[in-house]
Amino acid sequence: MSALLQLTDVRRHFGGVHAVDGVSLEVEQGTIFGLIGPNGAGKTTLVNLVTGYIRSQSGSIRLHPSSSPPARAGEGRVGALELARRPPHAIAGLGIARTFQTLRLYRNLTAIENVLIGMHTRRRDDTLQQLLPLRPLMRLDDQRLKEARELLQTVGLNPDRHGDRRASTLSYGDQRRLEVARALALKPKLLILDEPAAGMNPAEKDRVRELIQQLNADGLTVLLIDHDMRLVMGVCQRIVVLNFGRKIADGPPATVSNDPAVVTAYLGSHAPESASHVPGSEEMDVAAPSKPAASTEPASPLLEVRDLEVSYGAIKAVRGVSFGVGKGEIVALIGANGAGKSTILNTLSGVLRPHAGIARFGDLDLTTAAPDKIVRAGLAQVPEGREILARLTVRENMELGAWARRDRGAAHREIADLMKQFPILGQRHNLPAGQLSGGEQQILAIARGLLAHPRLLLLDEPSLGLAPQMVDSVFEVIQRIHSEGVTILLVEQNALRALEIADRAYVVETGRILLSGTGAALRRNPEVQKAYLGG
Amino acid sequence: MDFFIQLFTNPVGFYNQHELLIAQIGINAILAIAIFVTFYSGQLTLANAGFMAIGAYTTVIMNLYLPTPLPVNMLAGALLAGLVSVVVGLPVLRLRGVFLAIATIGFVEALRLGVILNVPITGEGQGLKNPSADPLGGIVPILISLPILAYLVWRLTRTRLGQAWSAIREDELAASSNGINVPLYKMIAFIISAVLAGYAGALETHINFFVDPTEYGITRTIQILTFAVVGGTTNVFGPIVGAVFLTALPEIVRQFASYRDVVNGVILILVIIFRPQGIVGRGGLAIIRPRWWIRWKARERPAAAH
Repeated sequence: MSALLQLTDVRRHFGGVHAVDGVSLEVEQGTIFGLIGPNGAGKTTLVNLVTGYIRSQSGSIRLHPSSSPPARAGEGRVGALELARRPPHAIAGLGIARTFQTLRLYRNLTAIENVLIGMHTRRRDDTLQQLLPLRPLMRLDDQRLKEARELLQTVGLNPDRHGDRRASTLSYGDQRRLEVARALALKPKLLILDEPAAGMNPAEKDRVRELIQQLNADGLTVLLIDHDMRLVMGVCQRIVVLNFGRKIADGPPATVSNDPAVVTAYLGSHAPESASHVPGSEEMDVAAPSKPAASTEPASPLLEVRDLEVSYGAIKAVRGVSFGVGKGEIVALIGANGAGKSTILNTLSGVLRPHAGIARFGDLDLTTAAPDKIVRAGLAQVPEGREILARLTVRENMELGAWARRDRGAAHREIADLMKQFPILGQRHNLPAGQLSGGEQQILAIARGLLAHPRLLLLDEPSLGLAPQMVDSVFEVIQRIHSEGVTILLVEQNALRALEIADRAYVVETGRILLSGTGAALRRNPEVQKAYLGG
Repeated sequence: MDFFIQLFTNPVGFYNQHELLIAQIGINAILAIAIFVTFYSGQLTLANAGFMAIGAYTTVIMNLYLPTPLPVNMLAGALLAGLVSVVVGLPVLRLRGVFLAIATIGFVEALRLGVILNVPITGEGQGLKNPSADPLGGIVPILISLPILAYLVWRLTRTRLGQAWSAIREDELAASSNGINVPLYKMIAFIISAVLAGYAGALETHINFFVDPTEYGITRTIQILTFAVVGGTTNVFGPIVGAVFLTALPEIVRQFASYRDVVNGVILILVIIFRPQGIVGRGGLAIIRPRWWIRWKARERPAAAH
């Protein structure tokens, strides 16, 4: 065994933030290497340093392409290649492929075209010959096409069904898979997967796990970043844990998961629950205290939805959904990806228009009212993926949240209040919002939503891509807002956490409501556990 | 209507009568191909009027002062435009979107006001007479070049180079992760576009007796941009269709010829509203439902239920 990738004392600071602060690690040839850490630990920054998107300030990043022959004849067999000063495309050319935490597909191109572009570095530059379409070149084209279809199959996409569809029309899980296929098209020596399972349900995560293991069995070295401990602990041979830009643990999964420094980093210093709550065991946590078994349907709902149908062109995303939210409740919509949960929220906030059905918020007809009017009536949405403005400062983001309001003075006082309520934002009010970690951005998005004085707050996937500790603080924020009298409609992948705080919940599957009940009852429902908790 | 009747019943007569129009259509179509190349690689550059001027002036000046044959002069014009595009592109192509557009317009105006109006050899704003122009003979190279260039660029979009352009247009960051040298391929697109524009400029001098510096300003820039927007940029034929349509339009509807710019503007607005993908492109008309329509429909629905 020899190291394929070697990082020595790599450092990168952004202003005063020590994003990566002297990290050394070695990725062994032919292994699956895990990189974990709470949100804002510097994992993605580290990947960006390796792939050349960010220049390191000191330290060295070396690739040892020893066992495999050089990519091009001219390069020769050098012992180690320093990556630190190379541009991203050159690093890709050396055989390091990556996927992105936030999907970056060529959205308007077909799945096949996406994969074909991934072959760029392996394809001889035949541009001039291609100007005249000669037979032998066409044969090369056919060969590439065949290979692209095989790659789609490798990642679990059906080339006949998905191949000619535009990437943006694929479901979220399929888009993630397509990105892996595109990265594989490079025939990489090292594949870096940045949260490949983010936002997937347990069944989909299992398939990601199988894929990673299969690729590794074929000889590929994989660097895996993910928040799902079960996935990381399950597949990786070696794991490095980062926290605040420093390496706090390094070793095989069993050692790392019992490391007290790791447990502290993930759960906070005052570990709230029993020792069973170490990373990797979170889905076992089904025996939490039950809520007082509350209402069924509310008598006079604040929000009433009946037989709602929403389509995207020919695709029916929501097929006749009915539910209600009573004043002062927390109601959760849970379900797998592509179930139609976000579509429902976007319809309620007036971004999408329903095909049929009724949606009322008090006296307001949500199916026809303009989005701005809906917000003014007291229904605010915190969208999936936070949608903060990355280049503006935290304060500017908040001020934009109050932009539509006429009472400027009061709005400014409220912003100051919110900054005090959420010290994370107060301390960083002059920082560009893009430099906040995912969890901090989520809190900013929620605080921004509060400036609209909502009576009903729609939260779309607030825990998406967050480390457990950060999920805790986001859910704390949600409960605090609720206790101040805001009704909440929550959409979540993280079904268990959502059911813990929800008075009532609805399980959505393929555009329909499958089950409903109190949060506690649904949490005990074996069917729910089976489908969404991976039980 | 007469325009079409003549086109189909008497093509030879039509050709003879509208030769200058056909030549202008051809030149505009080449300009449309030029802007397509940069659009296809995701760059909103508006420098082509400037490269056209370089092609035009170079050709005419060489005609006047050098014994070289005309085709050589034309190619020299196109190549000089390509050379200048490297110098301009190095700093400017670091910019994106609207900033790139502004910077390239800056180049066009700097070239026109700063160089052409101040250098004696260009006639200092008086323009240049081109004694060797041949309006009738000039149409031949245009009609030969257009299909060849259209074919080459169409093929180009399906090569490795064209795929790299697509990738850059869709997502630069992802493109570099796939090993695509983004600055290099952007520069190649910019140079090809400049050479085509320079060539179109050179061809145009051949059908006009006079090179007029006011031809190469913002108006021209916007006109070229309009070809691409109206025609659509999903493939190379979109901008060509846009160019043919917009150039022929004043001839087709003679009675509106004096409102040419107004008509063009209205067409541009209609296309942007109802067919944002352009005339040539996938999909049908965008359906815009005004707010009152939605409200009216909603009121109607419960009424119908009773």
